[in-house]
Amino acid sequence: MAAPFWSLRSFSLAHRRDDGEELLLDNASLEVPRGGFYLLVGGSGGGKSSLVRLCAGLCDPREPLPRTQGAFDCLGESVAHGPSRALRARMATILQEEGLLDELTPRQNVELALRAAGRSLRLAPALLADVGLDPIPDRVASLSGGMRKRLAVARVLAAEPEALFCDEPTAGLDPEAARKIAELLRRAHDAAKGRTTVVITHDLDSFMGLHDAVIGLDISSKTLRMQEPGAKLVDEPAHSAKRRAEAADSDLVHGLRRSVLAFGGVAHTIASSIVRLPPIELRQTARAIAQCTFAPMPFVAGASAAIGGLATFFALRNNPVEGGFESEILQGTGKVLVAVLMPLLCAFFFTARVAAGAAARLGTMTRTQQVASLRTMGIDPADYLLTPLVWGMAIGLPAATFVGVTFASLAGWIAAEAVSGTSTLGFVQSWFRNVDAIDLRTALGKSVLSGYLVALTCYHLGTGPKRSGADVGESVNRSIVLAMGLALFVHAALTLFVYA
Amino acid sequence: MHRSRYLIGIVTLVLAILGASMLWNVLSSAQDQRGMPLRVEFRDARGLRAGADVRYRGVRVGNVRAVQVAADGGKAVVDLTLADSGAEHACVNSAFWIVSPRFGGIAAGASGLDTLVRDTYVAFLTPKERGSRLLAGALLAGDERPPAIVEPDALAPIAHGDLLMTLLAPENHGLREGSPVVFRGTQTGDVRSVRLSSDGRYIEAQLRIDNAHRHTVTDASVFWIARPHLSGALLSGFTIADVAAIVSPFVGYATEPGKGAPAVDGHRAAATAERPDAAATEVPREALSRAVAPSAAPSDSIVLVRVTYDAIERDTFSADDAVHGEGTGVLWFDSSGRAVVVTARSVVDGAYTTSETWGGSVDIVREQITVAVPNGPVLRAHRVWVADQEVDLAALVLDEAPPDLRGTPLDRIAFDVDQPSGYSLRSLRADGNAIAEAQDASMDLDAALTDRRGAAMVKDAKASGLLGQTAPRKNRSARAISLALVPQDLRPRP
Repeated sequence: MAAPFWSLRSFSLAHRRDDGEELLLDNASLEVPRGGFYLLVGGSGGGKSSLVRLCAGLCDPREPLPRTQGAFDCLGESVAHGPSRALRARMATILQEEGLLDELTPRQNVELALRAAGRSLRLAPALLADVGLDPIPDRVASLSGGMRKRLAVARVLAAEPEALFCDEPTAGLDPEAARKIAELLRRAHDAAKGRTTVVITHDLDSFMGLHDAVIGLDISSKTLRMQEPGAKLVDEPAHSAKRRAEAADSDLVHGLRRSVLAFGGVAHTIASSIVRLPPIELRQTARAIAQCTFAPMPFVAGASAAIGGLATFFALRNNPVEGGFESEILQGTGKVLVAVLMPLLCAFFFTARVAAGAAARLGTMTRTQQVASLRTMGIDPADYLLTPLVWGMAIGLPAATFVGVTFASLAGWIAAEAVSGTSTLGFVQSWFRNVDAIDLRTALGKSVLSGYLVALTCYHLGTGPKRSGADVGESVNRSIVLAMGLALFVHAALTLFVYA
Repeated sequence: MHRSRYLIGIVTLVLAILGASMLWNVLSSAQDQRGMPLRVEFRDARGLRAGADVRYRGVRVGNVRAVQVAADGGKAVVDLTLADSGAEHACVNSAFWIVSPRFGGIAAGASGLDTLVRDTYVAFLTPKERGSRLLAGALLAGDERPPAIVEPDALAPIAHGDLLMTLLAPENHGLREGSPVVFRGTQTGDVRSVRLSSDGRYIEAQLRIDNAHRHTVTDASVFWIARPHLSGALLSGFTIADVAAIVSPFVGYATEPGKGAPAVDGHRAAATAERPDAAATEVPREALSRAVAPSAAPSDSIVLVRVTYDAIERDTFSADDAVHGEGTGVLWFDSSGRAVVVTARSVVDGAYTTSETWGGSVDIVREQITVAVPNGPVLRAHRVWVADQEVDLAALVLDEAPPDLRGTPLDRIAFDVDQPSGYSLRSLRADGNAIAEAQDASMDLDAALTDRRGAAMVKDAKASGLLGQTAPRKNRSARAISLALVPQDLRPRP
């Protein structure tokens, strides 16, 4: 006989928080058979979501895992510390916020899931029609709440999961729409043989008569138990009394764990950027390259021209010997601007113009569970988000530097013409007299390296844990500061290394 | 991202690529600039760089495309491109040279000093008699040094009222255009030109003396061309004068105070061969006590002039005496348009002030009267009228009044005051500065007579009299002379 769907034996689960641990399950024991359509109910904050996230492998890798004791098996494998990769491929989750990818069309969302599951993309229209999305809307942003849920259902079905988890699928819908979604889920459950569906919900009315059993999480005893349909449900207290278990770890250990996780996260991002450098998501990569190259161009060109022009103007104008040493001044200005200053400033302009947007986009994607939804589809966020960003910025920043240096030089020429009336040849001869191939190679190296580091920074900070909108803003802020700092460091270090 | 952003980005990138390729083209000189190409050969390129200017009369008219060494290694070849404005002036007889700092010794001075702080450049000059125009691509031989004609330092322009005179000297001790003219160690003018006389026996230097200093030059001034001058004896020690002339030769002159008539334009003077041994005279005593600040002439349109008189009194039994008189006069235009100066007769008539010891008439010859107009010319004048009964009043007429000369209008002169009183005394000093002094009890008119003879007596902005003396001959006391005596035909036209 096949292993049960869930098997908990004396299983305890506790959240690790900064101010101690919060015990969610205490010595819970339960067996849930396969193939059922279950509702997981219980008071808010009782640990329903935590249990599912642990089982489905959706815990944020940069947050501490919950502390567990006892055994927790799913489909015969232990998931007490998260599922294995193979097991995860057999499961799918509809997140509470759906995590639909905004930048793709609904159809592309489904196609992405199909591709991740290794199935034919031509199944997408059928899947969408199955969930009632016919005709297919062309933008995710224009979908209503109910349609978003339908699209999310279509997307999880694309992977043909053996186990399907739904987190509050009817939240925020009117009763009629909620009932329809409930029926849709039941239909989806019945469509595949042996599929087990676990729906976390408070909305028992919508699922009335559709479920096979209810798994109740008792908040006071912190245990799980099965209830047959029709049985009267235990009245839940209106509010859950959160009791904090005694801190099992000292602050020191907790802090240490956090630091290890933080360092591990950085190392993981860096490792991902190298291991996953070959672009798999070609479409995303091309889009990122185009975006990082063309979006900042006008800004970089304008700002660089202003700086080049002003620098030359004031160098020539605030000359202690009026009209003297013109070519020497132009030589110095040209060398400094072309070899050192413009590459650095272009990295700053680029960071301000592109990195902020990228960090904000990634932060929002994390916050709206788009990044988590990638994981549920079995797509590594690094492939989908980091690799395109690295390519885009490593190409976009050198391009921006080229544009910046060129426009600064042209503006310098105009300024020199205006102040001292130098000829074009005279200007160019002086401006580039001290600039050699080493300068250009160094500038290229600086900009590629800076671009790479800016991309890493945006990705790492953007996809870090986001509990609120303020966290997104904070991460954008830190991305800009850190990216500029790294760019400055790279430029200073390479300049010293090459010229000193 | 919107399509338009991509479009703007792509346009910017294309612009940047175009700009970079333009800079690259210019840098590799692949792009031929419009204009006329020329090649000029020099023995020494003197640090000329590609991109340097080509200038004609200081105006940039082209630039240097390349500087190379000729194939045989014997010359530096400079490729130039002249813009149309420059090509127009480049002729076969144009001189091309490289402007860089040069020092040609004391006499020639330094040139091209601007290129100490600026890049060396190529200059060319075309003489007045132009040859045919140069053809594009012509190969020329450049000059190694600048042509002499282009180097005179900019001379100060000649201003209205400046004295222009000629100095004749036996020998030119390094004098050249722009050399200073110095009086009492102060530069008062400059040398405009120096040339050999047509017969080759002396040199002629044209001098310009500033208007403000022209009163320091009289026909009695002594000129010399300064060179270091050693005087003294072994035991008493030596004095070296005019040391500054080692570096920069100059014209010096000395004028004994109160001697000679102010020089008129076109004055010719001969330089002495040696510096006159005139030790610097002391500062005049009155300069210590009289703290008269140079004041502007009162602007009530009474025109005062400085009148100088020189003559010779011929004596039968003794040497001839020089007669000299100086004073102030009032200038106006009379009814027939003549420029009339009314002054004290004791200033401008030797016969009035001198007497023959043995009686009889005084023999005055070679009378010379000059009238110096403040901030204006020095003019010759002659006496046309003297008052009856030996009253100290005379009228002069200027010989050649320039058209822009200004006179006192009629409403500034009172011809109906018989006994002027309560006036202020207005006179003109020898340096052209006016002094006004109110009359009061303490005013010593007799003392004023020594240096303010002819001063106008002004009351209510009207001149009614002049400061003169009571009677002819010397050492008389002062008296107010009424202008009522001036005859009608000499008075200003209404």
